[in-house]
Amino acid sequence: MAISLRNLSVDYNLPIGAAHALRDVSLDIQKGEMLGLVGESGSGKSTVAFALMGLLAANARVTSGTATIEGRQFDLTRPNATASLRGRGMAMIFQDPMLSLNPVFTIGAQLIEVLRRRSPGSDRKTRAAQAEDALAKVKLSNPKQRMQQYPHELSGGMRQRVVIAMALLSEPALLIADEPTTALDVTVEAQIMREIIGLRDRIGCAVLLITHSLGLVTEHCDRISVLYAGERLESGTVRDVQRQPGHPYTRMLFDCEVPIDRARDPDAAQNRFTVIAGELPDPRRRPPGCIFNGRCDVSFEDCAKVVPGDYAVAGSASHGARCLRLATP
Amino acid sequence: MSEAMWALRRICSERDGRLGLAFTTIILVFALVGPLVSPDPNVLDIKARFAAPGIAHLFGTDNLGRDLFARTSAGTRYALTLAVTIVVISSIIGSLIGIVAGIAGGWVDRAVTAVFDIVNAFPPLILAFALIALYGKGSATFVLLVTVVFIPQFGRMARARARTLRNLSFIEAERMLAVHPATIVVRHYLPNVAGPIIVLASMNLPVVIAFEASLSFLGFGVQPPKSSLGTLIKDGFVSINQSWWPTVTAALVLAVATLGATLLGEALRRVIDPKSAGTR
Amino acid sequence: MTDAISVSNAQLRFGHTVALDGVSLSIPQGTCFGIVGESGSGKTTLMRAVLGLQRLDAGDIRILGNPLGHGRAALKRRASFIQPIFQDPAASLSPRSRIRTLMNEVGTVLKEPHAATYERLAVILKRLGLPASVVDKYPHEISGGQARRVAIARALLMKPSILIADEPTAGLDVSVQGDLLNLLQDIRRSDNITLVVISHNLAVVRLIAENAVVMRAGKVVEGGEVGALFGAPREAYTRELLAAWPSITHSGP
Repeated sequence: MAISLRNLSVDYNLPIGAAHALRDVSLDIQKGEMLGLVGESGSGKSTVAFALMGLLAANARVTSGTATIEGRQFDLTRPNATASLRGRGMAMIFQDPMLSLNPVFTIGAQLIEVLRRRSPGSDRKTRAAQAEDALAKVKLSNPKQRMQQYPHELSGGMRQRVVIAMALLSEPALLIADEPTTALDVTVEAQIMREIIGLRDRIGCAVLLITHSLGLVTEHCDRISVLYAGERLESGTVRDVQRQPGHPYTRMLFDCEVPIDRARDPDAAQNRFTVIAGELPDPRRRPPGCIFNGRCDVSFEDCAKVVPGDYAVAGSASHGARCLRLATP
Repeated sequence: MSEAMWALRRICSERDGRLGLAFTTIILVFALVGPLVSPDPNVLDIKARFAAPGIAHLFGTDNLGRDLFARTSAGTRYALTLAVTIVVISSIIGSLIGIVAGIAGGWVDRAVTAVFDIVNAFPPLILAFALIALYGKGSATFVLLVTVVFIPQFGRMARARARTLRNLSFIEAERMLAVHPATIVVRHYLPNVAGPIIVLASMNLPVVIAFEASLSFLGFGVQPPKSSLGTLIKDGFVSINQSWWPTVTAALVLAVATLGATLLGEALRRVIDPKSAGTR
Repeated sequence: MTDAISVSNAQLRFGHTVALDGVSLSIPQGTCFGIVGESGSGKTTLMRAVLGLQRLDAGDIRILGNPLGHGRAALKRRASFIQPIFQDPAASLSPRSRIRTLMNEVGTVLKEPHAATYERLAVILKRLGLPASVVDKYPHEISGGQARRVAIARALLMKPSILIADEPTAGLDVSVQGDLLNLLQDIRRSDNITLVVISHNLAVVRLIAENAVVMRAGKVVEGGEVGALFGAPREAYTRELLAAWPSITHSGP
């Protein structure tokens, strides 16, 4: 087990009361594997990343949670628990690459800084050569010239490549990519995903891909975890979950996706889009029973009373979902 | 109205805001109540020249035996009236010019900006001397002068806001519905420009008060026998060897007035326009 | 029948960058038309030009056969033909006005008594699933989903025959975007409105539009009936876009 996260719970203190952003979320990612954490807005998926990196907002509080990274345990309830891992054991790619880049330094200076912190012994020339090599590896055109440029001179896709090169140089055990391609065009998105996979294969790290796009997850990830209103409702290999979703929410989420090859029906009334009716529950007061109960299309009496545990789907040890229907076959 | 109450509560929730509000209230009460409780500021009482502060004369008397409490109060009232008049006139004119320039763009915008730049290029004191040389001393000249100096400040801010607003969806939606341009300016531009303009206006009050005092101190402001904080400080300064309190009390009132208005303005800015707080 | 919108040889530059490079297209009345492309393709600029928010350097745009005028009379006439639904519809409501005031403005433009406006508004609100009490609120007092519907209600109050929606689903969760798209389709069919959808989402355009064009760098790459356009694209760029689209139909690795 390269990376494991156990029972992460995070509260936000809001003027209107304490809101639960995450409740007992656990994740496991093997080395060299990519886990897709999917969820809609309000599911708390970015809070997972921020809690791991120690970047939570001032009004957030981790109430429980431990992370095991490369055999070392971290108590996430302590402030700055993973500070020693930032830049070494963990790296993060944000949706906006400018959050990771300093606008007043050249690309080269920032890459060399990463190397200087990682191995203070090496000399300038080697570091510059390594940095340039990293830019070439993420397929940034004219790496020599890019070293002298400032972030604002590059396009969004190129900046994201630079951030990936920085992650490549820091050789993390865990790479967290939080909506890395959401701001980019589809053609660039495909290239950036290729570079992230290339980085994973080169240094053999674990990747946590946080996204709202099921398309990205099914195309690129090995495993998937589905988050809804702060709870992990399902997890398993992408193949298993796609073939037989254990939780109604997962199935409905897949149904909402519009496949690119769905042809138009000449009768306009047939071209309907699937919708999940209802709204997210109030994050301040968790309803009793299953968190998805109010919007579920197959719920029964017990769903409003009993909080479901994590049950195996189709007898598979690696595929589980929190749905009472699995407990009472 | 509820918005004003909310702003007031926010201002009271921090120390600087409370201090500013307290100082401003003291000065307002002093300026408004002063004439009711004190003798005529222009009555001479030669026997009581340079009287020390006491029951008869709260702040003492000056070299001609005039009551200093009454004179300081009158001077404060004069300074406040001028400041409010000037700030209100210049903020309204400035906002309208700025919004129109911002919406129109093109040569109108360039011309207005150029005029603003030219006016701002003159140091206010030099401009003051030039205008006084042209029109003579007096409050009308002063109002005209400071209004002219302040219009570009408000205009520039309103123009910048209007240019941002012009490209926002809700303004474009109004345009696409063919709503009358005057309605768009009054109902959709003005309320969205008002916040920073109110903040700038409140920050400019102490500037006008201090500017009026300095012009009067130099003898270019209010003319005797009327009193102003500047003339009071100067007159007291001339006879500082006989008595020191006329200068000190007038200077203290000036300090409290400008400090109060500045603190209140800063607090207001933190409430209305938190993004620009801490910058100038 | 005259086309709802016809654009011929639209040219526009911003400094050195070419925003529109000879765009020509025609959108028949009563259909749904899609304009797809990546950022910088010129699709939003084209929409702004059609709405009269952006002047062209050269070229001709006609709305229901009428050339774009720039006077107040032309603007008023255009407003009754064509209405936009902006990318962030919530931001298209003036933040310091009550929704009632915003709706009244439409009545004033149409020179219609307020009572008549309200009668029509009540019908529209009901159809969009909005409570009648929404008119007494300020835009910040309602949810994002409601604000989106209020913006659509306001556009419909103008009785337009053409609606242009710019990236209507951008930033929406999949479970919510379908709701909006279904609504737009219903409105289009029941009111016989010409709907133009500008989007980077090919899968959505393929389903709701009858015809579409693919734009790139200010040019129309190719266009036509969506079945043929996306089923058997002739241009390499269209194929590249389709291939790059992350879709759940591919099974995982």
